[in-house]
Amino acid sequence: MQPILDISTIDMEFPTPSGPFTALKEVSLRINKGEFVSLIGHSGCGKSTVLNIVAGLYQATRGGVVLNGKEVSEPGPERAVVFQNHSLLPWLSAFENVELAVKQVFGRDKSKAEMKEWIEYNLHLVHMDHAMHKRPDEISGGMKQRVGIARALAMQPEILLMDEPFGALDALTRAHMQDSLMEIQSELKNTVIMITHDVDEAVLLSDRIVMMTNGPAATIGEILPVNLERPRERLALASDAEYTRLRADVLRFLYEKQRKVETIQTEQKPKKPKFNKTENKAA
Amino acid sequence: MKIIKGRVTSLKRRKRLISAAGSAALLLGILSNSTAAMAEKLGWPEKEELKFGFIKLTDMAPIAIAYENGYFEDEGLYVTIEAQANWKVLLDGVIDGRLDGAHMLAGQPIAATMGYGTKAHIITPFSMDLNGNAITVSNAVWDEMKPSIPKMADGRPVHPIKADALKPVVEKYNNSGKPFNMGMVFPVSTHNYELRYWLAAGNIHPGYYAPHKSDVSGNINAEAFLSVTPPPQMPATLEAGTIYGYCVGEPWNQQAVFKGIGVPVVTDYEIWKNNPEKVFGITAAFAEKYPNTTIRMTRALIRAAKWLDEKNNANRPAAVKILSQSNYVGADYDVIANSMTGTFEYEKGDKREVPDFNVFFRYNATYPYYSDAIWYLTQMRRWGQIPETKPDSWYMDMAKQVYRPDIYVKAAQSLIADKIIDAKDFPDFASEDGFKKPQQHFIDDIVYDGKKPNDYINKFSIGLKQGDVL
Amino acid sequence: MSAVPYTQTTHVPNKLGVLVRRTIETLVLPLAGIVVFLVLWSVAAQKIDTSLGKFPGPAAVYLQFGALYSEHIIEREKAAAFYKRQETRTKERLAQDPGYAPKLRAYTGKETFLDQIFTSLITVMSGFLLAVIIAVPLGIATGLSKTLNTAINPIIQTFKPVSPLAWLPLVTMVVSALYVSEEPMVAKSFITSMITVTLCCLWPMIINTSVGVAAIDDDLLNVSRVLRLPALKHIQKIVLPASIPMIFTGMRLSLGIAWMVLIAAEMLAQNPGLGKFVWDEFQNGSSDSLSRIMTAIVVIGIIGFLLDRGMLQLQRFVSWDKASASR
Repeated sequence: MQPILDISTIDMEFPTPSGPFTALKEVSLRINKGEFVSLIGHSGCGKSTVLNIVAGLYQATRGGVVLNGKEVSEPGPERAVVFQNHSLLPWLSAFENVELAVKQVFGRDKSKAEMKEWIEYNLHLVHMDHAMHKRPDEISGGMKQRVGIARALAMQPEILLMDEPFGALDALTRAHMQDSLMEIQSELKNTVIMITHDVDEAVLLSDRIVMMTNGPAATIGEILPVNLERPRERLALASDAEYTRLRADVLRFLYEKQRKVETIQTEQKPKKPKFNKTENKAA
Repeated sequence: MKIIKGRVTSLKRRKRLISAAGSAALLLGILSNSTAAMAEKLGWPEKEELKFGFIKLTDMAPIAIAYENGYFEDEGLYVTIEAQANWKVLLDGVIDGRLDGAHMLAGQPIAATMGYGTKAHIITPFSMDLNGNAITVSNAVWDEMKPSIPKMADGRPVHPIKADALKPVVEKYNNSGKPFNMGMVFPVSTHNYELRYWLAAGNIHPGYYAPHKSDVSGNINAEAFLSVTPPPQMPATLEAGTIYGYCVGEPWNQQAVFKGIGVPVVTDYEIWKNNPEKVFGITAAFAEKYPNTTIRMTRALIRAAKWLDEKNNANRPAAVKILSQSNYVGADYDVIANSMTGTFEYEKGDKREVPDFNVFFRYNATYPYYSDAIWYLTQMRRWGQIPETKPDSWYMDMAKQVYRPDIYVKAAQSLIADKIIDAKDFPDFASEDGFKKPQQHFIDDIVYDGKKPNDYINKFSIGLKQGDVL
Repeated sequence: MSAVPYTQTTHVPNKLGVLVRRTIETLVLPLAGIVVFLVLWSVAAQKIDTSLGKFPGPAAVYLQFGALYSEHIIEREKAAAFYKRQETRTKERLAQDPGYAPKLRAYTGKETFLDQIFTSLITVMSGFLLAVIIAVPLGIATGLSKTLNTAINPIIQTFKPVSPLAWLPLVTMVVSALYVSEEPMVAKSFITSMITVTLCCLWPMIINTSVGVAAIDDDLLNVSRVLRLPALKHIQKIVLPASIPMIFTGMRLSLGIAWMVLIAAEMLAQNPGLGKFVWDEFQNGSSDSLSRIMTAIVVIGIIGFLLDRGMLQLQRFVSWDKASASR
């Protein structure tokens, strides 16, 4: 498989009033075409920063990102982003939101009819045909996120970047969305980088799980290949040994090797102060 | 500037001609009169849309009547009439062309042409009325004046009330640290001069102006302190106690009586019988640029003035109805009606007959007499607005620059030719030289001869005399 | 344990009950409020005596509405007669002087109360629209550029509190000096009033637009970046729609201020609108004056209310953010 994305020794420093804060140190990663890569780690470990650098929304302090042999430093539709908070334009319908992206990317090449067909196809992929002319305030959180995915897909990106796309959804919806995503993935064979907190999600969806160390100066800790066969079925995998092992590996990384230190400093428990209701002083 | 310079030199030349051939001038006069019969028909107006300004006083009546009775329209003039906020805005409006002409205080064209205040060559071809003002004092001041005024058999005060009765009151106020403030409408208004005349006649000094020393307050050596208030605001200012008396036109004196705020004590008819009051002012440039228009508007105004005095003031009630419209004077009908129909209420309940309180046409009221202009000039000199002594000829020159009986005569003659007004209603133009005979009905009995201004100035006990400089 | 028996005290809402309650809320309560106010006003007015007569009560105001309307009718009749006369005279003149170029002149008589209402409305809308044209682009620019915002903000904050009465003399002088023409299309007083209105109602719009633009969700901005929208498209497709709710809030505020400022500006600039009406009535000092001024106040208030509601409806129509247009 061809590596289409090369993240090459990236350092990221943010200027703060008390001196530069190193978020990332020497992050390097190669991603192949058609691969589904999850980025997982504790909060604040810089996963979003990495994604934003690949997306071109941030500029790395050192190092760079190369896509298909060309260095990228600016955002662009070939690295489409699905945001955690859907980011749909509230004044446009689902259709129009996707249309905005399609027009911008393909406006010069395709006819109106072709674009309309393409938009409807993408919305169909995310099972949003029935609600495509509804506004964001008229549809549920899950549906909004689907539209966000449709929009990203409609741009026919080289690489799809997803920043905790299902983080704001409830467990049931999340499950549905993951299934949808796998369905789309099998059909389109996109290259995807997805950030997630959810271990199950990472194992279920990815070809590789990239586990990051804690910040500051976070870097890639371990990379875990996931060789489970596709199509992956949730219920079946629940009792699969390999699945369980992979899951355990990830958990171990997160909770043993990269434990976030929140220990109690003293042996003693703090003394509880007297804070009772005043008794009725009977005569 | 150029125009004025040109006028002066051509006047000088003309004067030499006249003085060298006085009879020739008389001949010219007679000739021009007889040519009236065979004068060419008056041409169409050059400018048809005109805007005239006025201040809310009953003597703007000729303008209102000329509009409402269609006299302007008869002349082919489409006139918009607009009330102005105060005399300064009105004068500025005429000078900068926003207004084509306006209801003006007789002193305004004179002062402007002279350069006191703003400098602009303003002329007048039409005198709007005679009399029409009164002096009102607050109730408190009246109560203190009353004891020293002689009474008639029925207990009412003898009129005219002289300022002598006010003198002890003024002294009392000044001694107790309350400057005796009075209001008038404009530094070069008839009201200012009449109020000062009345006060001086009662031995109260109204103050000098010293423009050459940049003091234009008019309060130098004053015992009574005069200041400017726009006419509609006079009653309110009196009520507020900012001033203790004022001199203004109607309806603002009757308004004070009606609302119980003050008492009118004397009318300007009693100060100087049949004194000139308002004129219709236009710029000299306007008259030069639009001669037909100027004559036509004068015609309309003359007709309006005649209507107002017709049949012994029979049309006055109708006039009052028009004036009480909110776009003209706007005050209540009853308040305006008093003075316009010949009664004037002094103290509440003391109504006296003053049939000539407002005169619009009678006694040749509309003719712009040079002697009227000169009287104002003498008073300007008396109080220092003209800081140095001027020879008699200067007064004559000034008057001739500003007052334009020549335009009036053209208008009158064309009205006679059109048989709209009879020749007997006008002065005899052949013999009229623009000077009234020496006038003697002043409150202090001093006689005024317009042909001898400096002599007149020297007759006053209070006031600058020939040769005085502050 | 046995179930609790159903009793009559259990309240089941029925359609009639809902209808009654809604009628009370929207109709009866406000009406009651108005009636109480009218009674209090009437009583208070009887007790206040001014030198211009009694303070006007609701009855006097009602009478004046009638009087003003009949004056309007009379004036319209006079105008019709004027136009007829003008026609006749023009014909006569053309007969005698064929070279004459006839003109149709507007009626030279006074404006009626209804004319003045109309003039005020035109003036306020002109001043307001001029302010919109200046304020919205400026607000967008300062919202997008922090540098520009920091540079301009002190100026905005300094001019915001300035009263129209302070601007008027300057504006009058400038208009007099610059607007010179023999046949002006619009009166100087109109321009002066309009500009004064603009100067005073610019500021809320600039500030609200700026805030609205600056507060756009970063995610939406990122969408634009990913799509590589060019600057103008970015403004047209993202910035404007996103900040419309705030822009309209600013516009509503500004319109309210504009209407208030207009009345004051008209009084001093003598623009023939409601402000001039009030001033003229005060100057006249007739016994009707106070009632007529009160009538004008009622009309000014009602128009201000209608303008605000109109703007609110427009805001609701245009805005996607229902929350901001709910009051």
